[in-house]
Amino acid sequence: MAVLKKDEMVGLAEKAVGSALQKGGAEAEAYVYEGQATNVSIEIGQINKSSRIIDRGIGIRVAVNKAVGFAYTNIVEDKEAVEDAVQRALNAAKASKPDPDWNGFPEKKPYASDERTFDTRILKLQSEDLVEVAAKMLEAASSVNRRVFPIEGGAGAAYLSSAVANSNGIVGFDDGTMIECSLAAVAKDGGMVTPVCFEFNAERKYNIDPEWVGKEAGRLALSALKTKSIETRSTKLVLTQFALQQLLYYTLINAVKADSVQRDQSPFKDKIGEKVGSENVTIHDDGLFPGGLRTWAFDGEGVPQQKTVVMKKGVLKNFLYDNYTAKKEGKQSTGNASRAGYLSTPNVEATNFHILPGTTSADQLMREVDDGLLIYYLQGAHSSNPVSGEFSVVATPAWKIKKGETAHASRGVMLAGNIFEVLKNVSAVASNERKMGQLVAPWLVVEEVKVIGR
Amino acid sequence: MKDILTKVTDVAVEKFGAEYAEARAQTLYKTMLTLKEGRVEAAKQGIENGVALRVLVNGAWGFASVGSLKVEPLTSAVSDACRMAKTASVRLKVPIKLAEVKKVEDRVRVKPEKNPSEILMEDKIKTASEITKTALGFDKRVKSCTVDYLDLTGTSYFVSSEGSAIEQDKLYVWSRITASAVSNGVFTFSREEIGSTAGYELFDKQTPEKIGTAVAKRAAEQLEAKSPKGGTFPVVLGPDVVGVFVHEAFGHLAEADLALSGGVLANNMGKKIASDMVTFYDDGTINGAFGSFKYDDEGVPAQKTLLIKDGVVAGLMHSRETAPKFNAEPTGNARAEDFRVEPIIRMRNTFMAPRDRSFEELVEGVKAGYYFKSFRGGQANLDGTFQVGIQEAYEITNGEIGEPVRNASISGTTLETLLKVDAVGKDFELSSGRCGKGQTAFIGDGGPHIRVREVTVGGSA
Repeated sequence: MAVLKKDEMVGLAEKAVGSALQKGGAEAEAYVYEGQATNVSIEIGQINKSSRIIDRGIGIRVAVNKAVGFAYTNIVEDKEAVEDAVQRALNAAKASKPDPDWNGFPEKKPYASDERTFDTRILKLQSEDLVEVAAKMLEAASSVNRRVFPIEGGAGAAYLSSAVANSNGIVGFDDGTMIECSLAAVAKDGGMVTPVCFEFNAERKYNIDPEWVGKEAGRLALSALKTKSIETRSTKLVLTQFALQQLLYYTLINAVKADSVQRDQSPFKDKIGEKVGSENVTIHDDGLFPGGLRTWAFDGEGVPQQKTVVMKKGVLKNFLYDNYTAKKEGKQSTGNASRAGYLSTPNVEATNFHILPGTTSADQLMREVDDGLLIYYLQGAHSSNPVSGEFSVVATPAWKIKKGETAHASRGVMLAGNIFEVLKNVSAVASNERKMGQLVAPWLVVEEVKVIGR
Repeated sequence: MKDILTKVTDVAVEKFGAEYAEARAQTLYKTMLTLKEGRVEAAKQGIENGVALRVLVNGAWGFASVGSLKVEPLTSAVSDACRMAKTASVRLKVPIKLAEVKKVEDRVRVKPEKNPSEILMEDKIKTASEITKTALGFDKRVKSCTVDYLDLTGTSYFVSSEGSAIEQDKLYVWSRITASAVSNGVFTFSREEIGSTAGYELFDKQTPEKIGTAVAKRAAEQLEAKSPKGGTFPVVLGPDVVGVFVHEAFGHLAEADLALSGGVLANNMGKKIASDMVTFYDDGTINGAFGSFKYDDEGVPAQKTLLIKDGVVAGLMHSRETAPKFNAEPTGNARAEDFRVEPIIRMRNTFMAPRDRSFEELVEGVKAGYYFKSFRGGQANLDGTFQVGIQEAYEITNGEIGEPVRNASISGTTLETLLKVDAVGKDFELSSGRCGKGQTAFIGDGGPHIRVREVTVGGSA
C-alpha cells in the first residue's frame, strides 16, 4: 500500500468532521494516523527476519449534549467504512452520559515546526541497509570478548504521519521519521550467565552508531560477570538514563499530570510555587525539543506542542494539561494530549520530559564518587506506587563504585525509597544528556537511598 | 476469506519459492470504556481488519502486515515479505526449520451465555458505573476510581501453505478497576483485574458490588498500613502472588525462545530444580479462562503443558520454530496480539498445582514473617532473578496474621526460591491478566496458597 499523501490525510479528517456534524453531532474531531515501518530482527544471536508493517486508520470523536463518543476503523480507503465509524461514534455519544466538565474541543492556534524530525535518507532505507546496520552491531558486540553473547535486537526505520481536524476549525498535518537500532547481550562464563544488558540508538535523523551500540552492550554484559555481594545500608547512587526512565515514568511524571492532580492522585496538589526538589533539578516538558523522539508540531488534539517549565531549581512551576483538564480549570492546554495512533482517545502524557543537564562530565561525576552504586537497568519499577511515589525495585545488576571507579557488579540488589525524596536528594547533575523514550536527561547523583544487598 | 488467503500463500510458494507461507486474517470489533469517578471519558468502539503474512524463504522469515482484506494489496504484501526474507537470509548462520504438524481444517464457534456484542453500550456503562459507585461509597477516604472496560469479538482465519485452514471465533471480556485513597498525606493505590473468554456473564460472578468493594477496601486498609522491614523473611504467598510468581519468575524462563537466548532453564531439562511439592502447568484448554483458545496462531492445537513435575523440569513452551531445537513437539503457545505482529511464544493459563495444606497450617509455621496476598506488578530477568511488587500484605507474628503492610516487594533468584517452597495449600484460584513481551497477550495465572522458607523483602525507605 502506498503512503497516504498530506492532502489525502487532511481530506479524510475534514470529511469525517463534516459528516459527523451533518449526522447530528454538536461537535466533532477526526484524527488520521499512518505508520510505515521496516524492521530487521536479531534472534538468538543471528539476523533471521525482516518485516514491513503498514498501519493506518481514523479515529473520530463526536460530542452530543456534553457526552462524548469515539469510534475508529483501520479501513480508510473504503468510504462506507469511514462513514460507518462516524455513525458509531455518534451512537456511542448518544448512549453515553453527559459530562458537565466537557467544554468542547480545542480552538485553532498556529503551529511551530522543527526541521530536525524528518530525514529523507531514512525514507529511502531498504531492508538490505538495515541488515547491514544489524550486522555491524552484532560484530561489534562479539568483538568485545568471546564470553559476550548477543541475544536479540534489530534495526528499524519508520515514517509516521498524522492529520487532525475539528469543528472549531483546527486543521493540521505533520510527519516525521524515526530510526533505531538496539542490542541485548549477556556474558557467560562457566555456568554463570549475566543479566541482560541493553543498548540502543534512536533518532529522528539518520545519525545512529551501530558499532557503539554493539560495543557498549557487550562491554556492559562483560562487566557484569565479576560479582560480589554488598551490604544493606543507605548509599549514594549514580542513576543513568535507563534507571531514571523506569523510575520517573511510573511516579514523577504521573504526579505532574493535571489529570492526576485534579483527581487527588498527586502529592503535588496545591504545591505550585513550593520547593519539592533539590536546587539541582530543573525540568521542562518540551514538545518542541530539537530532534526529540516525541517532538511534533501538534498534540493528539491538534493543540501546538510547547515548552512547559515543570520545575525550576527544585520549585514546582506547572502541571501538564490536555484540552479537557485545562478547560476544567479555565486554563490553556499545554499540548500534552497523547494518543495511541488512531486507536485511542487522548490522554495527558509528557512529551520530551527534559531534566536539564549540568556542566560536569559523566567521567568527572564518577571520579567524585568515593563510595556508591552505578545503576542502569531496574526490575519492577512498574510495581511502584504511582500515587505515593514509593518504589521497591531490583537493580539488574548494580555496579559498585569505589574511589571513582566501578569495582564489580552486584546482583539482586534492591533499592527502596520514595521518588519525591529522591528528587530532594539529587546532589549532582552530569552533562551527558541523552534521549530515551519520553525522557531527555543526564546522569544524576542521588544521596542516601536505602539499598538491600544479598 | 479462505480462498483469498489460499491465493496469497500460493503466490509465495509458486512465485517466490517459499518453503512455508501463512496468512492470518482478522475481523475484530472492540468496545471500550473508561470511567473516572463515574464520568464516562468516552464510549469507544473500533474495527480492526487486516492480514498478517509470514513466509519462510531460504531459511529466514519475512513478514508483512496490511490493514486490508483484498487480494491485490495482499499479493503485493506477500511479495514484499518474500523479498525481505531473502534479504534477511544473506547473513543467516543457522536456517530456520519448522516442526512438522498435522494439517488442521476446523471451524471453532464460541457460544457465550451473554454475547458482549449483543449487550447495549448503555448497559455496559451501567455496570461500570455500579462498580464506581460501590468503590467510592465504601469509604470517604477513597478519592478516585478508574474503571477500564474492553470487549473484543470477531473472527480469525488461518491458512497455511501446508493445507491448514482454521476459522475461529474470538471473544474476550476484560475490566481493570483502580482506586486511590488519601488521608493525612498518605496516598494508597489498589487494583483489580478480571477477564473471561466465556462471555459477559463474567459480571454475574464478579458482580459490580464484589469487585468495587474489593478494590476500595484494599485502598482504605492500606492507609493504616506500615512499611515493611527490609531483609530476608519466611512468607506465605496468596494465589494471586503465586500466580504472578509462576508467570513472571518461572514462566518466562520456560518460554523456549527465552531459554534459547541464554535463560537458565535451557540446561536444566529433566533436572530437579524445585522442592518436591512444586508442579507447574501452562494450560490453554481451561473453559472460559482468560488465556484459553482452541488453536494458536500457527494453527497448532492448544494443550495442557506440564512444565515442572514434583520439582523436576518436564517441558518448555514451544512454537514450531523452537520445538525442533529441543527435540520436542510444538505446544500451541505461539500467539500474536493482532494482524500487525508475528506470533511469538506466549503463556496461556500458567499455574501451580495445589497439594494438601490448609491456610491456617501454612501461617502457623511462621514465627516472624509476612503474608503477601495480592501483587501490584512483577518482572523477571533471563538470569533468573525476579521482583514482585505487593499491593496487599500483612505481618505474621507467632503464626498469626497481624497488621497490614504497604508497598512491599519481594525478590530473589527463581531457582533458589523454588527450592525453598516448604508447604503448598489445597485451595486454588486463577486470575486474569495481561502480559507484555513486546506484544500484549491475555493470560491467566494462579495456584494455591504456599509458604516459602525465605525471600528477600524490600521495604520502603
